[in-house]
Amino acid sequence: MNLIPTGVRMMKSTAKQLRTEANWPPEEGQVISFKSSTGFETDILKEVRWGLVWRDFILEDGRVIPEHRISGCPQPQAWRKISEVTDQEREECEERLLSMAGAGMDPRKRDQSFWAELNQYLAYTYLRFKPAGSKIQGQEKEKDKDKDTEKDR
Amino acid sequence: MSQSDDEPDELQVWRVLSEAGLVEIRLDEFAERIKDVKRIVTGRLRDLLDFNTGVQERESAAYSLGTLTGLELKVLAHTPKPPDPSKI
Repeated sequence: MNLIPTGVRMMKSTAKQLRTEANWPPEEGQVISFKSSTGFETDILKEVRWGLVWRDFILEDGRVIPEHRISGCPQPQAWRKISEVTDQEREECEERLLSMAGAGMDPRKRDQSFWAELNQYLAYTYLRFKPAGSKIQGQEKEKDKDKDTEKDR
Repeated sequence: MSQSDDEPDELQVWRVLSEAGLVEIRLDEFAERIKDVKRIVTGRLRDLLDFNTGVQERESAAYSLGTLTGLELKVLAHTPKPPDPSKI
């Protein structure tokens, strides 16, 4: 399995396409290049939004592209620690997902909001509850320990 | 699963999610990935119940399990049925 994100492999050498952390992410209204199922495309960036785990780039046409598919994405890619996600944020995400599912939306429509949000929710839930023994799970345990300590007070 | 203590968190997250097939789920694998994650949550919930600890995490895990089950049912409802062999 190739674990190198697409963004690294497709980075072009022109000065305009090379980005650094300092000018990343691109601004709204900027034309961005990204990898789609049909190859490389460009479109206007409408908004950059943090999901439960990674950043999503929302395009003018409504498509939602995960950050690692955007050309010039700095490496390593920025991720949120699971302990940064609040209970309220998680619950709101769960409600949105159930609402989209209830409305008959199909998550198998690539780059659409249901697809994007379900991807992130599954990734987040996996990281949160996966078996102990890694640093990531340790972060979650630290969070719970803090909560339990607060409860005891 | 091998991992290095020196590996930055960002790379570790990427590797863990890639290995689990959860960075970008293939369109025909949603139901399977939901099942995988449900299995992980169920295992954690079982541990929490066995040791009778982490009340808040237990409630949260149970709620996540309910959400995943709801999503799984909807995704399965959208899954195209294989052609009926008797009609081929």
